[in-house]
Amino acid sequence: MNFDLLFDKAKAKNIEALQIHLEELEQIDFDVFNGELDKHQIADTRKLSIKGIYNGKMGKMSTESLDEANMDQWIDAIIDSAKAIESKDEVFIYEGDTSYKDIPELATSNLDNLSKEEKLKLTFDLNEKIKNLDEKVKISQSFYGQAVKKVTLKNSKGLNLTKKVNSALLGAMAIVKTDDDSRQSLDYVQTDNPKDFNIDEMAEGVVKRATSMLGAKSLKSDTYNILLENRASATLLSAFMGMFKAESVQKGMSKLQDKVNQKIANDNVTLIDDPFMLKSTRSGAFDDEGVATRYKEIVKNGTLTNYLYDLKTAKKDNTDSTGNAFSGSIQHTNFYFKNGDSDVSDMIGSMKEGLLITSVQGAHSGTNPISGDFSLQATGYMIKNGKVDRPIALFTIAGNYLKWFNQISDIGNDLKFGFNFIGSPTLKIDNVVVSGNE
Amino acid sequence: MFEKKSLERIINKALDSAADFAEIFVEKTFQSSITMQSNNIENAVNNDKFGVGIRVAKGHQSVYGYTNKADEETLLDLANDLATVFSGTRAKKAITLPKMKKGDKHQIKRKPDTVDIKEKVDLVKRANQAARNYSKDISQVNLSYMDTVQNVWIASSEDIYVHDERIRTRLGIHSVAKNEDDMQSGFNGPGGHYGFEFYDTFDVEEAGQEASRIAVTMLYADEAPSATMPVVIDNGFGGVIFHEACGHSLEATSVAKNASVFSGKKNEKIGSDLVTAIDDGTIENAWGSANFDDEGRPQKRRVLIEKGMLKSYMVDHLNGLRMNESSTGSGRRESYRFAPTSRMSNTFIDNGESTFDEIIEATEYGLYAKKMGGGSVQPSSGDFNFAVMEGYMIRNGKIAEPVKGATLVGTGKDALKKIDMVGDNLSRAQGMCGSLSGSIPTDVGQPTIRISNMTVGGRKGNA
Repeated sequence: MNFDLLFDKAKAKNIEALQIHLEELEQIDFDVFNGELDKHQIADTRKLSIKGIYNGKMGKMSTESLDEANMDQWIDAIIDSAKAIESKDEVFIYEGDTSYKDIPELATSNLDNLSKEEKLKLTFDLNEKIKNLDEKVKISQSFYGQAVKKVTLKNSKGLNLTKKVNSALLGAMAIVKTDDDSRQSLDYVQTDNPKDFNIDEMAEGVVKRATSMLGAKSLKSDTYNILLENRASATLLSAFMGMFKAESVQKGMSKLQDKVNQKIANDNVTLIDDPFMLKSTRSGAFDDEGVATRYKEIVKNGTLTNYLYDLKTAKKDNTDSTGNAFSGSIQHTNFYFKNGDSDVSDMIGSMKEGLLITSVQGAHSGTNPISGDFSLQATGYMIKNGKVDRPIALFTIAGNYLKWFNQISDIGNDLKFGFNFIGSPTLKIDNVVVSGNE
Repeated sequence: MFEKKSLERIINKALDSAADFAEIFVEKTFQSSITMQSNNIENAVNNDKFGVGIRVAKGHQSVYGYTNKADEETLLDLANDLATVFSGTRAKKAITLPKMKKGDKHQIKRKPDTVDIKEKVDLVKRANQAARNYSKDISQVNLSYMDTVQNVWIASSEDIYVHDERIRTRLGIHSVAKNEDDMQSGFNGPGGHYGFEFYDTFDVEEAGQEASRIAVTMLYADEAPSATMPVVIDNGFGGVIFHEACGHSLEATSVAKNASVFSGKKNEKIGSDLVTAIDDGTIENAWGSANFDDEGRPQKRRVLIEKGMLKSYMVDHLNGLRMNESSTGSGRRESYRFAPTSRMSNTFIDNGESTFDEIIEATEYGLYAKKMGGGSVQPSSGDFNFAVMEGYMIRNGKIAEPVKGATLVGTGKDALKKIDMVGDNLSRAQGMCGSLSGSIPTDVGQPTIRISNMTVGGRKGNA
């Protein structure tokens, strides 16, 4: 598509500056359910997002009908959109940074090292292994997905950037049943290289986890010290991501307002936003505004160092964008609690009585992202005298996330990421209010 | 959009294999959205979506492909690609499509794409003003307006060829109340299968005030206790519990795979006698309604549970084949980017006979959940968890002090049996439901109900 023609047309209609963001995506997905192919999907799509400055306001539109004949319509839509906007915030189309980090590993495709048939076989084999590990496995599901994403960012100020990222995901789910109980467990690996898939380990992991939860019962309401396992912690962090974004802060919707350079957590807590992490589709050298991305410790040894910014919010605070403008808002890249030194087995071993929380549910509803309050259903295990004692379910853990930052007494070395590129190692949190019905 | 002959060629290309089912789904959608924060219109965006999804199946096994490079040649290639998965002797003769049917049940008076953006902006501002004027404690109001005009053409080898236009609009108001100690929020989001005339059917200012009322009430609320107690869940959005904890388990998606607690329980008693539950995709102009489902079958009214007895699941075509049942017209999808599967439409517990006052008076001590927040459920076990957005304690048969931070925990199976009072004040509320085939508009609903005992999780400690 001739974007220079689009830029010329925009200029002729008094649009000061125009930028296009084109995302092209090719995907393949398989899903195997109890030995049968349940889903087999291929996709090839494009989405063009356009924004332009008209009378000082940013007009926006997007389309999936990529036909040059529609260009005049797109320009009109940008102008209509800009006319409706009242926000007095200064808006920007960026001319670009002097340099962008070169990350050749991200663009290198290892996805073709396996043929489509081999990937399908891998998914079937994984399914078979799950099924055969334990007769209590009643449902075995495995899935494979891969995507090749190409992004083109161009504007009328001469910016012209492209990036290509590859990713593949292999996952497994098992449901185990006895006469009076049923439990499930899920695991997955996200990578850009099929070599990282270990189907034996994955199958054993999900089956062991699901069976060990059988017979889970509630517990006595009380205050407990807990180990919040890596993925459960990542789920909780996801729910409260908003408070680190400059937009929430500037709108009075974050309790981290006025807290930069202040202690907000125990010394052992460091939170990182890393756009250069390998094997992540979230990584890249520039954001959607064309700003060069950078590695940053948002919380360093317990002190809040900065918020996540885009160009608009950075201007308001008289600072620089942190390169976190994605999909029309401020987003993290790869955001995680830095690993601590402790082995999780030692963390369990040194606990006289407590809980190991392996998953929390309802993080989108049981949390108040503004106040930090939450009350979530959880599952896990009771720990007694340094040993996993029995599985527990149907109870809630409650608290305030920012207060928890000061209750983190130990951090594991088992960093793991969720689907949304938010990660955490296992955290030990003291004095947590738990309610059950035993 | 595409000529009938062209659709036939694509379907027949896919059937040139051992496949016995082929379907093409063409979608063109215009969406406009406006957001307002801090008294300013922040964004006004038009998005248009366009694409084609092709599904090919043999028995209940299917493959799906989608693209928005939608010339006939690309689509023939895609159909051919998908069909190669089912190599072997040809199973089905070439088809011809019937005459195209178009639905006309949900009349629209003012199509959103004919309404000037200024009028939409004024609407958002009215709600904003009302929400802000409600109380000096309101520190922020975020509003989001959206309308969508979705045109779909669905043709399949099941002798189906339909065109449906789904026009929907919704106004979301999110109020934040703040004082020195705390910050709380409230939400209200009315919507429907309507054009812009929807906003003449209710008081927009009141809708704004309602979000603020919740936020302010919760700002001065005490923490909820942790205990097991009777819980009275109010009408409207309270139905989200049934939706999440029972509705999803009645979808063929999980039933057919034996992954639901209700698999194989048809004509068995699964709830108290007081429970009759319905999924009705035909309610005129309701948020979750449409003329046809996304497999091109007419939407229907389905009685799921009648006086506690499980009567029907919600079934899509392919899962129907697994279960040896016919489709109930429940195949839905977010867009051409998803293969359809069985989903809810407007799902609710039907009216009972108790009045609201009788239910409260009959409750010595318990929690009154006036407005529910969202929730989630683990499908295999039915364990659920819901946030109470606006809650009060009930003491001596009267609604007492407001409480915040309460979570309701239980399992769908148990809760259905423990419903011991059902009110006569059924109402519905709007939500977006996320599942395998994407995020789709659904209504939840119920009259006021009482669950005889339930785990309430709160931060106050143990009552």
